Amino acid sequence: MRQFFPVQDLARDERFVQTNMAARLADKRSAVIGSTRADGAHRKSAKSRAANNRLTPDRHDASDAARSLMHGIMVGEIQALEGAGRTAHDFPAGDGTGDTIPFELKLDMARQAWDEARHVEISAKLSDWMGTEIGQYAENTVLFEAACSDDPVLRLAGVNRALEGLAIDVFTQMKEFGQLAGDPFLEFCEDWMLADEVTHVKMGSDWLRKVTEKDPDRRAKALEFQQVVDKLFSFGGTRGDTEESPIGLARRFRELAGFTDDEVDDIAEMDAVALAERKAKVREMQEAAQV
Amino acid sequence: MTVEPAVFSLINYDADEIATIAGELAGLLGIGNPITIDVDETTPLSKVSASVEARSSDARITVSTESGALEDTQRFTNLGPAQARVSIGRMLLRARDRIRPDFTDAPPDLDLSLRQNAAWDAYCAGRLARIGVRVNEQRFRYNFRNRFGFADDVDAMFDRLWSADDLGWSAIDDPT
Repeated sequence: MRQFFPVQDLARDERFVQTNMAARLADKRSAVIGSTRADGAHRKSAKSRAANNRLTPDRHDASDAARSLMHGIMVGEIQALEGAGRTAHDFPAGDGTGDTIPFELKLDMARQAWDEARHVEISAKLSDWMGTEIGQYAENTVLFEAACSDDPVLRLAGVNRALEGLAIDVFTQMKEFGQLAGDPFLEFCEDWMLADEVTHVKMGSDWLRKVTEKDPDRRAKALEFQQVVDKLFSFGGTRGDTEESPIGLARRFRELAGFTDDEVDDIAEMDAVALAERKAKVREMQEAAQV
Repeated sequence: MTVEPAVFSLINYDADEIATIAGELAGLLGIGNPITIDVDETTPLSKVSASVEARSSDARITVSTESGALEDTQRFTNLGPAQARVSIGRMLLRARDRIRPDFTDAPPDLDLSLRQNAAWDAYCAGRLARIGVRVNEQRFRYNFRNRFGFADDVDAMFDRLWSADDLGWSAIDDPT
């Protein structure tokens, strides 16, 4: 079986249309409050949202926004399944040095792939329940791209810590959404998937520590890579501690998954920087377009 | 039929194509009023609203929409004709409703509560589906459940709105 699968070769049927972060960030529009023009002028449609962006049922566009996010979760689960499966297969079993990974790590990746397959099924059914067709929204392939590194330790940092960390934030947000809206299926399913994600992050945290125990340089490089991926997964501040961000940082569940308070603070800071950069970029693009 | 702006600079929308879609829908719905479609291209959000200058067949109907409501969800920043039909069609039906005397008490669109919006959307989307516009019923059912609750009697309320063709404002304001 083929190893090291590039993102452009992912198997998808005709229902799916793929996009990437560069295309998303080139969008000159913004839903972010505070990205009004430099002269302080407000958009014509300023009434369309309340004082914050957090994804809660009291937003006028709550149902459609939740449907869109649910679809994003579903394609994210497909890519997480593909990523975990690749890591189980791409590297030979060994003591963790070089390009080898311990056999027990392979077993954990296989278990994760099994979990993600279940999540794909759950998410597809939830999408149907919410009135979304499979492939209705563009699939951002950024998640799988983080799973394409040649170094298994970087994959642990990028996928299990950054990607699955984002999953913790997203599932917590969606679980709360289901709770507030009184949607029993959404709340229940997100809660169960959240439990799995915490386990996946914990596996990543534990293996990263173990495999790099005697190689501090490799550990530093992996954590640096995680920061890059974390910033990417902030999606221009879509996730963050303030209510300007639709998705919050799930501090308690991140702690359970092995993140230290300092690490979560760093992610929050990075999210804030990403949000500020996105606002500035949108302002610049809109001014250039003279809107 | 007027579309504002006539030329889009932030997104790949074509004003003529939007005008054609709105014109076809107006024909299907028997609406002869002059129509303005006002698109806010600065935001990808999807709020839509409709207003009518007066209760007459020659009063101007204005559909105000954020660009996300007309967008191809698979190809961001591009016009999605299917999405545009559902969004503009719903608003044209609202405008047509507003011309009726039994809608005098309906608040302006931007002052509608979330429940009033969900109920009116269900009523409009059901009628759109029956004239042949492709509408995902479950999408509107889910929104209705989010506003009224996840229960069998709420589903029955939704079914009544969805299948109705001749309601007044009071039936939408209080669908129970």
